[in-house]
Amino acid sequence: MFEQLTDATYENRIAETAAGVCIFIKKLCPHCKNMMKVMEKFSALQPGVTLLSIDVEENKAAADALGAERAPTTLIIKGGSVVGKKAGLMNPKEMLAFYKSV
Amino acid sequence: MTEERIFDLVILGGGPAGMTAAIYAARAKLNTIILESNITGGLVNATYTVENFPSYPSIHGMDLMEKFRAHVDSLEVKVEEVCEIDRLELGGPFKRVITDEGTYAGRAIILATGRKPIPLATPTPSEQVHWCAICDGMAYVGKRVLVVGGGNSAFDESLYMLSIGIEHITLVEEMPRYFAAQATQERLFSCGKAVGHTSTKVADLIVENDVLKGAVLKHTESGETSTVKVDGVFVFLGQHPNNELFKDQLELTEQGYIRPGQDMGTGIPGVYSAGDINDKPFRQITTAVSDGTIAALAAERYIRSQGNVC
Repeated sequence: MFEQLTDATYENRIAETAAGVCIFIKKLCPHCKNMMKVMEKFSALQPGVTLLSIDVEENKAAADALGAERAPTTLIIKGGSVVGKKAGLMNPKEMLAFYKSV
Repeated sequence: MTEERIFDLVILGGGPAGMTAAIYAARAKLNTIILESNITGGLVNATYTVENFPSYPSIHGMDLMEKFRAHVDSLEVKVEEVCEIDRLELGGPFKRVITDEGTYAGRAIILATGRKPIPLATPTPSEQVHWCAICDGMAYVGKRVLVVGGGNSAFDESLYMLSIGIEHITLVEEMPRYFAAQATQERLFSCGKAVGHTSTKVADLIVENDVLKGAVLKHTESGETSTVKVDGVFVFLGQHPNNELFKDQLELTEQGYIRPGQDMGTGIPGVYSAGDINDKPFRQITTAVSDGTIAALAAERYIRSQGNVC
């Protein structure tokens, strides 16, 4: 369900994403697993949104460039640009409200 | 989904107790579902290293819980994660769980809701207060951290944070002694990058322009205060029972835990409890597994005595 981005691919993939969310994760981060499940449920509430993920431990350049210090950090992408960023947990309705607010 | 879905057994909570119960229930051919408000694994997910579960001398908590989950999935138990539960109805022949996505009804229910971390209460709040070192430790690489708590979690997570490059750890414990395993205490304090203080609590946080600058520590016996410069705080003070959904329907201990019978029964026919939500002297993965086993076997016996298995 999630397309994984890397240091090499994130810039172009974000630029070509019309509507998407990208989550920065770590492999052993339980809150990250929680947020990925939240985003799956969010995508049912907001069809057509592309789900992207970046492993911060393997892709430090992407994490630094996009300002992701904590995991999970969620980015909202609209029209090929990052328009919103939030660290920590949300439930699916909060995620939807955040997506619509930016 | 708006219609009521009926199962033999509904398990509330997908930690080690709930997943063990599901395995036993599924092998007894009970139509079973786990309803979990976050993700399966419970508090064990946030434990960086588990060294006392018979099988692995050392394993990441999340890896261990993924093995539990793989076993559950192999038995085709239904699991609903990130499930917002509104209320429970525990009386009657069917036990109902009303969620934001519909109602789940079981001929029996196992309450395995576990516990949640106790927050740090300080007059000054800060966003730089955390409960998960794996999630948030990275933000403090090269910086100084305060760890609140003197049990195994506090020490284990401190060792993890030093391993990823936290510069220094100050650890405070309110009681006169630490409670972590002696070997873990020695491992942390012998590394030269951590100091500890017993009989010490966090009186307040020092925050300037929304940035944490330090903490005010207070000795619980002398009353003396001191300040320590830190960039982040990690709290491992223990947990509160997750009993909001049933505290008005079940008799609980003063601390809010369920006091089950030997068969994990709660006194309400068809309602069982398992894991950290139970009143017990020791809360470990192994004791949760035991509770889950007993609750599932007792629930099976109850369900079959009622006839009409799903």
